[in-house]
Amino acid sequence: MIATNEVSFRVDAGGRLVIIGPNGAGKSTLFNLLNGQLMPDAGNVFFFGQDVTRLPLHRRAHMGMARSFQLTSLFPELSVLENMMLALHGLRSSRFNPWRATLSYWNLLDKAEELLSLLDLWSKKDDQVHMISYGEQRKLEIALCLASSPRLLLLDEPSAGLTSDERLAVMEIIRKLPPDIAVIIVDHDMDLVFGLANRIIVLHYGQIIAEGTPEEIQADPRVKEVYMGMEEEKT
Amino acid sequence: MGRPSPIQDRKLPAGRPMASAVPYLTAAVILFILPLVLPSYYLSVLTMILIFGLFAMSLNIIFGHTGLNSLGHAAFFGMAGYIAGISIVTYGIKSFWISTPLALAGAAVTAAVFGVIALRVSGVYFLLVTFALGQLLWTIAEKWYSVTMGRSGFVGIPAPDLGISLLDLGTPVRFYYFVFVIFALCYYLMARLHRSPFGYALQGIRERESRMSALGYNVWLYKYIAYIVAGVFAGVGGILYAHFNGSIAPSHIGFSNSALVMLMVILGGAGTLWGPVLGAALIVLIQSFASLVVPARWPLILGILFVVGVMGFRGGIGPHMVKRVRRIFSSGSYQS
Repeated sequence: MIATNEVSFRVDAGGRLVIIGPNGAGKSTLFNLLNGQLMPDAGNVFFFGQDVTRLPLHRRAHMGMARSFQLTSLFPELSVLENMMLALHGLRSSRFNPWRATLSYWNLLDKAEELLSLLDLWSKKDDQVHMISYGEQRKLEIALCLASSPRLLLLDEPSAGLTSDERLAVMEIIRKLPPDIAVIIVDHDMDLVFGLANRIIVLHYGQIIAEGTPEEIQADPRVKEVYMGMEEEKT
Repeated sequence: MGRPSPIQDRKLPAGRPMASAVPYLTAAVILFILPLVLPSYYLSVLTMILIFGLFAMSLNIIFGHTGLNSLGHAAFFGMAGYIAGISIVTYGIKSFWISTPLALAGAAVTAAVFGVIALRVSGVYFLLVTFALGQLLWTIAEKWYSVTMGRSGFVGIPAPDLGISLLDLGTPVRFYYFVFVIFALCYYLMARLHRSPFGYALQGIRERESRMSALGYNVWLYKYIAYIVAGVFAGVGGILYAHFNGSIAPSHIGFSNSALVMLMVILGGAGTLWGPVLGAALIVLIQSFASLVVPARWPLILGILFVVGVMGFRGGIGPHMVKRVRRIFSSGSYQS
């Protein structure tokens, strides 16, 4: 089965690319190809000029690629702070240390406090992750990605299941990201899509049917057709 | 110096180190005094508890912390026990300081080889492959008569010879203290591991493997190292057991021992640090009493114990006890 077919695009440092498309358009598959969860049958993934098509996930992470997951993918039995520490150790050689206590790395704890405070999670630091609310889990999901100071950030439906207030907060966080990192977002929320994107790709049945600035996409007749079609199906 | 860390002042996770030392010190004092008052039979039971407690803790590294269900963990226990015994009795290597590294290296190499094979699969297949590999060693131990003395077991293993006349381990009490010191040392090492970045990485892998990869962890390598480390600690248990028992048999390397140690971990509390020791204590205690009173009923008793443990204390007896104690303490502090 071809979920993603002859998709070709690039995103530059500082770019805010949003990928939209109906359910089943191949958005998550595309993400899995980009970060290495899946290997493509054909084609290549280049990361800052380097071919990473055959590199495993953890190697891509070390090159500066971070990803959040559509279905919350945290460590439920560990505390919020411990989750954060796992993410912070991930790209450092300290991750192999079998001797020193993980909660004694003061410089990393400072970093954890900074990131958790940014996302309003510091007061929850000692709570086990399965105890905090869904919205907080989504925010922690993003915090884990930021821990690695990535050069490319892949956000898979960051606003899914959030209340409108939380959605605004998440948008604010994405907007405040350092301007030099590239961000690719998949989302359905149109406020978020048009509020953040400087470039949009529309996927449909695994193919790009439109690509351009938010204004161009809004005016594109084929995009309207795809989404109108969906509206009709619903009614 | 730089600015003081804002977290340092805040005493992150609520003053754990000092508070947690109290139960450990208490346990150490009890374990230190007990042999002076215990009759010799109970002293041997206590020694067994420490040996199997260590063995159960080693399985817990991969089973409880990493989430790898190994049903062949006795392979390393038995392998080290056999190598220690054979090197001492057959080859006349008397010194503990030579036979032990040999045996541990044997356990490590076995784990390194088994790990490459078993870690190609996961979940229930991992369980089956480790089971098969363990049975392979069991068959070798039973059939290779010229080396292992076959089914009845390899016998005649003396007490460890430390080469220091003051530290003669010939008496049960002295041997107990020797086991106690090694147990405490291994416990300390595993406790450090548990709280280290490496140990947390193992727990992360248990909970969400794909996320760990995305965070930059080489998941396979972690599992592999953990598997070998667990094998070496199991080997320590096996060596002590061989010296303690004076013999080691195919049953110690095969399925029955692997299953028994897994029950200890599940019953005591997988994933906690001292839960497996508690599970080992419980099973060794009941086993030793059952063997005195109703030897033929031991499997039945074990079965009942397991069912009750799993149904009544989900997650293990250890965590339940901790919760109880916490509740007593916290309600006390509210009243005062």
